[in-house]
Amino acid sequence: MLNVSHLTKKYHKFVANDNLTFMVKDGETAVLAGPNGAGKSTAIKCIAGLLRFDGEIELCGHKNKTIEAKKILGYVPEIPAPFELLTVWEHMEFIARAYQLEDWQDRANELMRRLELTDKKDKLGKELSKGMQQKISICCAMLIEPKILLFDEPLVGLDPHAIKELKLMLGEMKAKGTTIVISTHMLDSVEGVWDRVFIMMNGRIEAERTRVQVEETGENLEELFFSITEKKE
Amino acid sequence: MNSIFYLMRKNIKNEILDTLRHPLKFMLYAFIVVTMIYGAVMGFTANTEEIAAGELNDKRLLSGAYLAILYFISIPILRKGLSSGTSFFSLSDVNNLFVGPISERTILVYGVGRQLAAMLVLVVTFAAYGGMMINMFHIGVPQMIMLVGGIVLMLVMVQLTTLMIFCLASNHPKRAKVMRWVIYAIIFFPLVTIIYYIFTRGINKDNFFDAISMPVFDGIPLIGWLHGLVFGIMNGESVKIAVFGALMILTVALSIAALFLTKLDFYEDVLSQAESYQEFRDAIMEGKVSDKVMMGDRKVSVRKTGIDRGKGASAIFFKQLREGGRRSRFIFLNINTFVLLFAAFVIGFGMQQALPNVEKTITYLAVVVILVYIQFFFSAASDWVKELMKPYIYLIPDDAVKKLMMAAATGLIKPFTDGLITFVLLGLFIGGHPADIIFSALTYGSFGCVYIAANILAQRIVGVDSTGGVFITFYMSLILIVLLPGVGAGLLSLSLFSGELSFIAATLFTAPMFVWNIVITLVIFIACRNLLNNTQ
Repeated sequence: MLNVSHLTKKYHKFVANDNLTFMVKDGETAVLAGPNGAGKSTAIKCIAGLLRFDGEIELCGHKNKTIEAKKILGYVPEIPAPFELLTVWEHMEFIARAYQLEDWQDRANELMRRLELTDKKDKLGKELSKGMQQKISICCAMLIEPKILLFDEPLVGLDPHAIKELKLMLGEMKAKGTTIVISTHMLDSVEGVWDRVFIMMNGRIEAERTRVQVEETGENLEELFFSITEKKE
Repeated sequence: MNSIFYLMRKNIKNEILDTLRHPLKFMLYAFIVVTMIYGAVMGFTANTEEIAAGELNDKRLLSGAYLAILYFISIPILRKGLSSGTSFFSLSDVNNLFVGPISERTILVYGVGRQLAAMLVLVVTFAAYGGMMINMFHIGVPQMIMLVGGIVLMLVMVQLTTLMIFCLASNHPKRAKVMRWVIYAIIFFPLVTIIYYIFTRGINKDNFFDAISMPVFDGIPLIGWLHGLVFGIMNGESVKIAVFGALMILTVALSIAALFLTKLDFYEDVLSQAESYQEFRDAIMEGKVSDKVMMGDRKVSVRKTGIDRGKGASAIFFKQLREGGRRSRFIFLNINTFVLLFAAFVIGFGMQQALPNVEKTITYLAVVVILVYIQFFFSAASDWVKELMKPYIYLIPDDAVKKLMMAAATGLIKPFTDGLITFVLLGLFIGGHPADIIFSALTYGSFGCVYIAANILAQRIVGVDSTGGVFITFYMSLILIVLLPGVGAGLLSLSLFSGELSFIAATLFTAPMFVWNIVITLVIFIACRNLLNNTQ
């Protein structure tokens, strides 16, 4: 479970995240939606423990910067940053060693097969396209079988097969009880995946809906999104 | 042509306005100008007739040093011609000018012009040393101007030649191979000749000076020709001026002909070069050093795979070893090691030969001081800096101090390896007390630790994402502060014990510095463990 309480992130005078409070339950997939500059990526990075912030963030009851929290967190950054001189397989090995995973090889092979990286196993990070690099990031994050999985604009640069496979994989992880948080500015890209959506604007959460609510009321999520984001722009 | 002039005018104007708006940049330019004026004033006011004919006052040394400078400037640029083309244009030139209705010829002239403007900084740097050159080598102001002018000409010529190499070698692997061997021959010919000359005639100052100033070097394509032309003009030798001048003109003509006569899509080649250059420049400006930008398109052969060892934080260290093995066959030996060895031998032998009355321990002292200065420039691309640019080090669930130590480990080992190799080899050749050799090596290594520690401290204080200029200024100031107590202790030890132990003056000075450097490095590492708490 992810608990974010009064999260505020400032860059000098600019408030990127303004007092965000939200919760995502076990086995739930939440989407942080909003236009460019709404503060989605900043929130994701704060949760991942990459930025300084005010407020409190807990991952399954652990403060997000503790070693216990890091052990259960998977993070896929918006811009993939593989090690240029490591092969694809060595990325898997590095993560397995750094996180002290046991019996990880089969899982690594399976992840690579599903994201069509098997034939690139011995390719160096610097030799791969942006899309392939993104796939490495996804494999690395999923290899540790995290309890909390953060995706920052995950579908950018992926080919249709990888998008289809990733959505399947997210479904499987959700079924296992993983908490997933996805940031995106394209709502239709996460259609069918989300359980809870937070629409962000100017660093604040302007609306929160669950899939159940939307289905019960018949509310059009896209219209809600534009009514919030276009009104204020 | 109007659009080009407009672009140049606006660029210059905006550069000036930008400088005035940024005090740090303004101060930097002011410093360069003042240094240049100082150099010029020193040069013009120096009375060359009254300068005593010291040991360094030898035209042969000037000739050899000038040849080395020309090599230093030209070889890295020439080698680029075999792989990636020219750096005349930025990506914005490509995107905005190349697609416009402007002739290729005009754009090329603009590119060369821009390149020359960018090189002015380098020329100014050499000009700033003008006064020193005049004093050291007993030359006049016009000769100093000739030497600096020669460097400007070399920069232009080498750019044109690079273009020619690129035009001729691009898509022709056999030609590229031949040209690569020609460049290797240009590099190794003087080295082999000098070594052969010295070892067959005896190691002494006169033979060394004779070796580095042999007239045969003037026959080396481009570099030797320019050397011959400059010294021909300086000495009023009309045959040399005519021959080497003609060869230079021929090179220019051939380069231009190659550019316009070869069937080559000049824009396409520049585009790919401009893109990678832009990436490199952005990375350097933002301090985002990575293997991709540092190595460019260099082919890496993957021989052995697997990280094999390490758990938790130590996986970072073993990962770096594997990466290091791919950067260079010998992980802790690279071009920096050879540069240091070369510098150590030049200084060591130079001092032994030029100043025979000076004790060897003083030579070691001088070599250490100069090498740690050189090492500062090597420390920027250390592995741990690259780790900070990626999210993994922050995410790995292990103790922050351990992660920091492991990320910096290869960077800490490297200077000790370089120091040991350099000083042990120097010791074998010039002799000296074992204590001096050992402590010189250890002190050199410990400076590597301090540079990394100061970098970590600077990142901790001003932030990983701070701008390049602010960071570098702060980092350099920190180094001075951190090193000061060690230098003080070294001086104190020297003054206390130099009476009876003067034969190991280098050890007296460096041993306390070594101890201090190691202690302060450990303190900084522990104090900065929170660096990995966030990327900011």
